[in-house]
Amino acid sequence: MSLVLVIGVIAGCSNKETSGESKNGKKVDLKIWSFTDELKEPIKKFEEKNGVKVELTIVPIADYPTKLKPVLESGVGAPDVFTGEIAFLKQWVDAGYWENLSEKPYNVDELSDNYVPYVFDLGKDQDGNVRALSWQTTPGGLYYKRSIAKEVLGTDDPDTVGEMLSSMDKVFEVAEKMKEKGYRMFPDEGSIRWFSQGDNPKPWVNENNEIQLTEQKIAFLDTAKKLRENNYTALAPEWSPSWFEAMDKPIKVKEGGKETETQVFSYVLPTWGLHSVLKTNVEESEGDWAVTNGPSPYFWGGTWLGVYNKSKNKELAYDFVKMMTQDDEFLTDWAKETGDVLSYLPVTNEIKDDFSDEFLGGQNNYQFFLEQAKSIEPGIVTKYDQQLDTFYGNAVQEYVDGKKSKEEAIKEFYKKVQNAYPDLKVPNK
Amino acid sequence: MLDRTEIEKGVPEERLVQKNTGPKKAAPEKSKTNKRRSIIKGVIYALLILLAIVCFIPFLMMLVNATRSNDAILTGFTLIPGSALLENYNTMMEYVNIWNGFKNSLIISVLVTVLSGYISALTAYGFAFYTFKGKNFLFVFMLVMMMVPGQLGLIGFYELSKVLGILDTFIPLIVPAAASPFVVFFLRQYIKSTLHPSLIEAARIDGASEWKIFHTIAIPIMMPAVATMSIFTFIGSWNNYIMPLVILFSPEKYTLPVLMGFLKGSQVAQNLGSMYLGIAISVVPIMIAFLFFSKYIVNSISAGAVKE
Amino acid sequence: MNKLNRYGYIFVAPFWIIFLVFSIYPVVLTFYYSFTNYSGSGTAEVVGLANYKRLITDTYFVEAFFNTWKIWGINFALQITIALILAAVFSDMRVKMKGLAFFRSIFYLPNLITVSSVALLFGILLDWQHGSLNMVLIKIGLISEPINWLNEPTTAQLSVSLILTWMWFGHSFIVVMAGVSGISRDYYEAALIDGASRVQTFFHITLPLLKPILLYIMITSLIGGLQLFDLPMLLTDGIGSPEGSLNTMVLYLYNQAFKYSNYGYASAVAYGLFVITIIFSAIVFKSMYRNERKQARQV
Repeated sequence: MSLVLVIGVIAGCSNKETSGESKNGKKVDLKIWSFTDELKEPIKKFEEKNGVKVELTIVPIADYPTKLKPVLESGVGAPDVFTGEIAFLKQWVDAGYWENLSEKPYNVDELSDNYVPYVFDLGKDQDGNVRALSWQTTPGGLYYKRSIAKEVLGTDDPDTVGEMLSSMDKVFEVAEKMKEKGYRMFPDEGSIRWFSQGDNPKPWVNENNEIQLTEQKIAFLDTAKKLRENNYTALAPEWSPSWFEAMDKPIKVKEGGKETETQVFSYVLPTWGLHSVLKTNVEESEGDWAVTNGPSPYFWGGTWLGVYNKSKNKELAYDFVKMMTQDDEFLTDWAKETGDVLSYLPVTNEIKDDFSDEFLGGQNNYQFFLEQAKSIEPGIVTKYDQQLDTFYGNAVQEYVDGKKSKEEAIKEFYKKVQNAYPDLKVPNK
Repeated sequence: MLDRTEIEKGVPEERLVQKNTGPKKAAPEKSKTNKRRSIIKGVIYALLILLAIVCFIPFLMMLVNATRSNDAILTGFTLIPGSALLENYNTMMEYVNIWNGFKNSLIISVLVTVLSGYISALTAYGFAFYTFKGKNFLFVFMLVMMMVPGQLGLIGFYELSKVLGILDTFIPLIVPAAASPFVVFFLRQYIKSTLHPSLIEAARIDGASEWKIFHTIAIPIMMPAVATMSIFTFIGSWNNYIMPLVILFSPEKYTLPVLMGFLKGSQVAQNLGSMYLGIAISVVPIMIAFLFFSKYIVNSISAGAVKE
Repeated sequence: MNKLNRYGYIFVAPFWIIFLVFSIYPVVLTFYYSFTNYSGSGTAEVVGLANYKRLITDTYFVEAFFNTWKIWGINFALQITIALILAAVFSDMRVKMKGLAFFRSIFYLPNLITVSSVALLFGILLDWQHGSLNMVLIKIGLISEPINWLNEPTTAQLSVSLILTWMWFGHSFIVVMAGVSGISRDYYEAALIDGASRVQTFFHITLPLLKPILLYIMITSLIGGLQLFDLPMLLTDGIGSPEGSLNTMVLYLYNQAFKYSNYGYASAVAYGLFVITIIFSAIVFKSMYRNERKQARQV
């Protein structure tokens, strides 16, 4: 008897947990999953506009694919709309979880001319059907502090500074000047990986399942080591608390038995770095920033979104996708508020000429980034990127720390790749 | 808390000490030994206190840092609390609702404990007081399975949950944990030695049903042992990390341990103060509960080890 | 009687239903997967012994094996030494120590804290540039250069060992104390009368009589230690950095299955781990048992 009772209690409990109610018991009309909080504001607007309740679930990016996949497969507690990051986008457009937007009633192919071509193409599956759309384009840049540039380089003009950073050798020249004046060029060594990746970009894995480690990526080992050995960085690893702290304030670096206080000159970040990283963490140095190019163009990240094909509320779900990717009014406001660079051409063409961002001292970052966007090579995205980047990052770290020679580090990288993905072919060494 | 313990109680130490320092030794020498002894004692106490401090220092750092702002923590360590507690709390709650994790962990752990206690008692009683075909085989088989580490079936368990459609629910975290061979074994040994079969016979003659005998006679007698095992079951379930990590996907269902890992990857990790606060919130209630239950817990561990 | 004994089945039925479905079946299913190339979706193709062949030549698994042993071994040696010293101190009849309950509680406290909280806490306390631990150590002059605890294989493994010791010595202490209190006072009285020194008493009376309890601690600790997962998973990047030194067997299993989707191979890893656990538990058991017999013969 009591056993039946207990089981009843459990069943009751889990039923409550899995039903479509939100934490505070209100009815939820739409569930959205993403890996950052950037959709928070748009969701608020969407709720106001349509009088609905939306629940946003944020899962950190490292767990996002592993957590989302089983949800989509089983359909239990699944979202109606979910986003995909470029690193695993390829895998997902082909997996068939997203509704086919090329079909009726969506017919998004008619809109293809409205988008930056590579952004639209990346959302297509192997049969050419559009599965996901994106509102942004994500070319990269190098954000720096104007005051430090003026003091050390004699100018804060983005074009002139960009010219001073147009090759790796020149970057090191600037880094040396920074060091002489007590500044650090970058927060950490990882900062420059994008320049080596953007120089002669190739996908990690080619169509024959062969791993491709380009010369430029190998050269990155040396540049990273040089940065460390010459004390050009502030030893603040990407995404760590000190990395964020160093954007706005002087930071203490413990090195060679003494502690020195220093400031970081520049951060290598793409378009979204401006609104979702810099603006949210910087207070004091607002307006003191500018963006320019590094030694080579690159792109980093990007968020696509689509409708879950088993969603029970596809209409509303697509409404949200539409607002994020096709709504002139919303997107114009969004761009002006955040400075995010849109892939939706009707809006970008409208605003690009007289755009200016206070945070960047009034610079027109739009035109800069749209120019950079032209050199994006979307073909280099593979489904292995997230793990392979991690493995290679570790290899670089071990070389920089002096634990392994270059050959050993590369060998170890190949070994790890082979171990995790036995199907991939690595060079026989 | 500083009560005299079993060992001190049960031993006629006074007598022993007297024997040792016996009548042969002169009085001044005796005081000398006493003096030396108290110095040794002092040193030992000092060392014990040092060890206690070492034990507690990570918690202390955590508590102090939970009240300090990110830039203060990055600049240096101090024992003086900061004033950023509320700010840290708000930052943390913006991304991760830690109380929700508490609630989930509590629901799961309580249900597991109750269910495991009841089912184990039932099984132990069945094994101890009935004879049926295959009983010995089942019992030995169960003992053998006790040796199997939980990770062995992890992948099969995940696939099974997928097929049953119970991924991302609490069911795979509650129901399987209710069948614990170790608890059954412990309870069976216990009731075998505490409940005499004649008592059951007498009840049967009085016309009590088997269920009634179990509920009114066996359960009350087993209660102390069930309580002992419940502490282990509860702690085990509360601290379980790998199972909920694999089974649960939606952050609002995460248990506390999984939520901690989640905290590390989330934007909270940008702010060390909030990070420390999040950890502190996961730790402090356990500490407070321990203040009340420490005696029972310590006794249970002792009992669990000695009865083995 | 027959009717009565039907209740035997009824009473053990709920346990066995749950146990068969959720414990036995998954173990069998995992065994099946270990002979396939199952990747988490689609069909599983039987590949024979390929996974096991790969397992015995897999340097990462071997590395995980030795890492797990190193980390567990250092921790166990420290933990049991501290526990025994404490037990010796508190059971000494000449120096009557007070406050057993108090110290016992304090020492035990870290054991109750969720391991993932512990991992997170030490992850940030041990940070190279900005961790509070380095700051304190520099301040009191113990070190001049910050130690990059979690970036060097040796210090990273040592950190995990020490954290485990911190978490577990209180528990071992309680269990040892329970064993000590079970030893008859007569032995100590006799030793005292014979004028045996503390050290002699400890090594010739306490330790031999504690053998069953030490065996219990060792086997439970070993089984737990071989399953080390939470700490290495959350302390660094979750794939065993630095230089694979925190790659433990269960962490490897988890990553192969749930990160790289090699479910078939991960199942073989699980069985490899199982075999290792059985072998070493048996060795511990055997060696302790044989020593006992030898001693008995000598007497």
